Amino acid sequence: MRISLGTLRIIVLLGVFAATVLFFASQIDGYLNARLFNRISGSVAVIALIAVGQAFVVLTRNIDLSIGSVVGCTAYFTGGILMAYPDLPPLLVPLLAMLIGGIFGALNGFLVARFRLPSIIVTLATLAIFRSILVQSSDGSSITTERLPVWLTSFATQNAFSIGELQMRWIVVISVVVVLVAHVFLTRFRAGRQFFAIGSNPDAAAFAGINAGRTIFLAFVISGALAGLAGFMFLSRFGNITVVAGLGLELKSVGAVVVGGVNIFGGSGNVLGVLIGAALIDVIDTSLVRWELVSEFWREAVLGLLILTAVAADTVLMRRLLKRKTDGGQQ
Amino acid sequence: MTPVLVMRDISKSFGGTTALSAFSLTLEPGRIHALVGENGAGKSTLIKTMTGIYQPDSGEIVIDDRPVTFRGTADAQRAGVAAIYQEPMVFPDLSVAENIFISHQDRPKLINWTTMNDEAAAMIARLGVTLDPRRAAAELTLAEQQTVEIARAISLNVRVLIMDEPSASLSDHEVKRLFGIARALRDQGVAVLYISHRLEEIFALADTVTVMRDGKHISTRPVQEVTQASMIAEMVGRDMAGRFAREPSRDTGERLLNVSNLSRSGAFHDVSFHVNRGEIVCFSGLVGARRTDVGLALFGVEPADSGLVELGGQAVVIANPKQAQALGIAYVSEDRRKLGLAMTEGIAANITLPMLGKYAGAFGWLDRMRELADATAFRKQLNIKAANLTVPVGTLSGGNQQKVMLAKWLNTKPRLLIVDEPTRGIDVGAKAEVHQILRSLAAEGVAVVIISSDLPEVLSLADRVLVMREGRIVGEFAGDAATDEAVMRLAVAAEVA
Amino acid sequence: MRQLRSTLASWEGFLLAVLVLIYLVNALNSAVFLTVGNQINMFQLSVEKIIVALVMTFVIINGEIDLSVASVMGLAACAFGWLVQAGVPGAAAVAIALAIGFLCGAFNAFFIVWFGIPSLVVTLATMIAFRGFARILVEDRGISDFPAWFDRLGQGGFIGPVPFAMVLFAVLAVLAYLLLQRTAFGRKVYFIGANRAVAEYSGLDVKMVKAKIFIASGVVSALAGLLFAARVGAVRGDIASGFELDVITMVLLGGVSIFGGAGTMSGTILAILIVLSMRNGMALQNITGHIQTGVLGVLLILSVMVPIIRETGSRMLARTR
Repeated sequence: MRISLGTLRIIVLLGVFAATVLFFASQIDGYLNARLFNRISGSVAVIALIAVGQAFVVLTRNIDLSIGSVVGCTAYFTGGILMAYPDLPPLLVPLLAMLIGGIFGALNGFLVARFRLPSIIVTLATLAIFRSILVQSSDGSSITTERLPVWLTSFATQNAFSIGELQMRWIVVISVVVVLVAHVFLTRFRAGRQFFAIGSNPDAAAFAGINAGRTIFLAFVISGALAGLAGFMFLSRFGNITVVAGLGLELKSVGAVVVGGVNIFGGSGNVLGVLIGAALIDVIDTSLVRWELVSEFWREAVLGLLILTAVAADTVLMRRLLKRKTDGGQQ
Repeated sequence: MTPVLVMRDISKSFGGTTALSAFSLTLEPGRIHALVGENGAGKSTLIKTMTGIYQPDSGEIVIDDRPVTFRGTADAQRAGVAAIYQEPMVFPDLSVAENIFISHQDRPKLINWTTMNDEAAAMIARLGVTLDPRRAAAELTLAEQQTVEIARAISLNVRVLIMDEPSASLSDHEVKRLFGIARALRDQGVAVLYISHRLEEIFALADTVTVMRDGKHISTRPVQEVTQASMIAEMVGRDMAGRFAREPSRDTGERLLNVSNLSRSGAFHDVSFHVNRGEIVCFSGLVGARRTDVGLALFGVEPADSGLVELGGQAVVIANPKQAQALGIAYVSEDRRKLGLAMTEGIAANITLPMLGKYAGAFGWLDRMRELADATAFRKQLNIKAANLTVPVGTLSGGNQQKVMLAKWLNTKPRLLIVDEPTRGIDVGAKAEVHQILRSLAAEGVAVVIISSDLPEVLSLADRVLVMREGRIVGEFAGDAATDEAVMRLAVAAEVA
Repeated sequence: MRQLRSTLASWEGFLLAVLVLIYLVNALNSAVFLTVGNQINMFQLSVEKIIVALVMTFVIINGEIDLSVASVMGLAACAFGWLVQAGVPGAAAVAIALAIGFLCGAFNAFFIVWFGIPSLVVTLATMIAFRGFARILVEDRGISDFPAWFDRLGQGGFIGPVPFAMVLFAVLAVLAYLLLQRTAFGRKVYFIGANRAVAEYSGLDVKMVKAKIFIASGVVSALAGLLFAARVGAVRGDIASGFELDVITMVLLGGVSIFGGAGTMSGTILAILIVLSMRNGMALQNITGHIQTGVLGVLLILSVMVPIIRETGSRMLARTR
């Protein structure tokens, strides 16, 4: 039975994840317990959401660096709207957040798809622009927990169900559902496969009559909308939103995507891998804090090297695979 | 039989050059129709017009008695016309099945992988081939990728399948399989347009043969009525007016380059030849004969695996272009845009690039006056037409770009100059000028190697002609003894009639 | 062909016009703007970024990108602080910090040049990692007990009222200009960025040039980090964080193509002046830093859109002709 490269990646990732958890379990007393799960799952939920959005964009050979600012903006605006209209039906609020995020994403997508501007420049710019929109509209004042409806601030810790001591928070359930829906969409739907096609071979995609512009636009809208949903969760988890909310999340999302095995040149990847990548990054992040041998300040260094290792390993793997093909080249 | 596709008086020109002039072609279902012609006869323009990449200037394309207009490949596909090329266009990350069904707009939005894999397997089976539909295209060989492309085409119910040099990079075994596929398609009622340089393939496969030359239709006959000799005569038959005059050889008889048994796995084998100072040696052959690979090996871009290269009587190892250049070897690429010139940079800067060290003083300071002086000399010598020498090379005409490329390498004062397709895509006037430049270089004692698919050019320039086919040198002529037909016969592997 | 040349020439002309306009508007809006003190202050507040922008111009014209510059700045500054605190003499600490910059650049170059991983990905990872090393060194402390000469260098006037870093920038700007536009090395940088295959066919040492540029980027960033430490008289783990965005914006605004091969040092320098005077003008109007950055973001998008719009325009013109 042949194992496809994609499946192999997931298996390796799961192995690395298990090894990481076991390693920390051997180093930290009382590490493996339900509390760990309960604590980590919430932040993984947020990162997984934006990483899945990022994955859509990266699959099409683009990148979305503005995602952290979109999270900050939607958290702030959603909070602001809720303070003005506290009686909004709760179900409507996450949808509203996704709409706001989607609008930001649409702006990115429009600039990239319509004018064919390099996405790295566009989103580098909108990273700054969205942040300044947030600063401008907040005018220095922040959203604070007390001024938000109680249902919202308690939502982040509300359980959907629990298995023994494992508490399944709603935000975790939502995030997992999003990942699964994205996975099904990307693997089971014709429209989903177009994201892969464009990233895999843009020329062939044009030949096959795939509308690249529309698909890339859609990728950015999805990225924005999921960042919006993440912004809603961010708001719910922290309550206090300042102008620096979400700062640096774009790096974590790209990190999770790359560690999760999505090819940075587009065309291949799996959002289940991205979920594991996000979890891996977060587990390392939180566990280093508790590991006595090193200080918590090792977090970023480890994350950076982890990304580099993942990419280097992947590059070597891919090159070996593709070598066979180029050997048959011609004059 | 009712034809499925008729091309009627199709003309197409680019700028001043005519690629197709009043060309007509009729394709019938259930037949394999071969199209032959020299390099540059207009075959690729024809294919691009049939598949909607180009729109004809005049004439009409008729499908089932109805005139059609293709604004793009999608239009052509909908009308049942598709093409596969030497270089398959697949999605490396997607599976075989997906590659086949990617452009099917009518399939269910939700993919049922089992069904799709089964259908793909069936589709491939129709071609008489087995291939796991779940494998990623990146893992396939070139021939298998081609099979996937053909399967994609027939899954779209194509009625006209154009195969453009599909066998050029395949092994014998793979070619046999390809023939099997083509015959299976024919038996299923598809009209196959098969384009190949290998005449023996045409006799093995085709029902009808059309010869084209210089964008014009020359003949269409049942394959039984033609011979290799008649085909070759029609392919090369040219007015004498189109020929360039020959000039006496400047061969000094002093041997500069001696190559023995040069081989590179997967490219060329046991290539042995020599070039004298002042001599012009032309490599003739069809596209895909691996002539360029020999040039690239001598220039150190893709070094050979084995064999001996002697330059001026000394054995040399050439591992990269820098070493080649130091030995006095220059290589003018056939691909101006990708490998020859940096189009956004200035003329003078492009010319002096390989010799930057010559113009650099302390701290690498460039003597721009000297650069400009040298470039100006070349501009005069080669008659480069440009507003000034700092304009980006990309703004020049093809002929002038070619001259800049020559100047760039002449500036390295080479002992051995290898020129790959010296006049491709440039106008007649510039062509004659380039020929004169190459001749005068030989007169100065430079050993000149020309790789050219342009037979008249070869016949007018060469002191000696070497013919390559499938990675081997298969024949040699003295320049004045070579004829169109003799060279072509060797290049296409026809038995001497 | 004249047209292309004149458009190339006019990008700098356009930037110059924008610069003059900004100076005029600022001068009209604020009496303070044109004073010597404000002009020096304007440069001094961003002097580290603009020094890094000089070397970033080489990186991007070469067809690469270096996102790790701000983290190298932070790492060098933090290493310096850590060493000084550990009792290492100031001069030796400076040398070690610069050596760290060299190593950071070499580390990037190793993965980019010899491993063939795109610089975007490598420097994204090292941007996080180098910052992480800085944090490991200083954790959440602030270190500020620098040698007096070091603080003076950063804060006092060096030539008259002009501080050392500004003089250094002026010298480096001239050197960078000459190196890029007048030497064989600069020529290689352009050709490798414009068409790597052509450069290789022409016998250029492509890998070596790229490695040199990334190492230079590391060393210059380390130098800029030290200058930053000297100017503010203290280091923290997040020092210079986010500066890469400003630096890259300046370079791209200067007309350097993100795809490599095009742009000039004078374009970058003009863009530096535009960014500085715009920020200063906005600051004088009490507009916060975040908003200033947002305005620069808009400018960045416009700067990449202008050539595209112009090209479509001329292509349509050519078609009608």
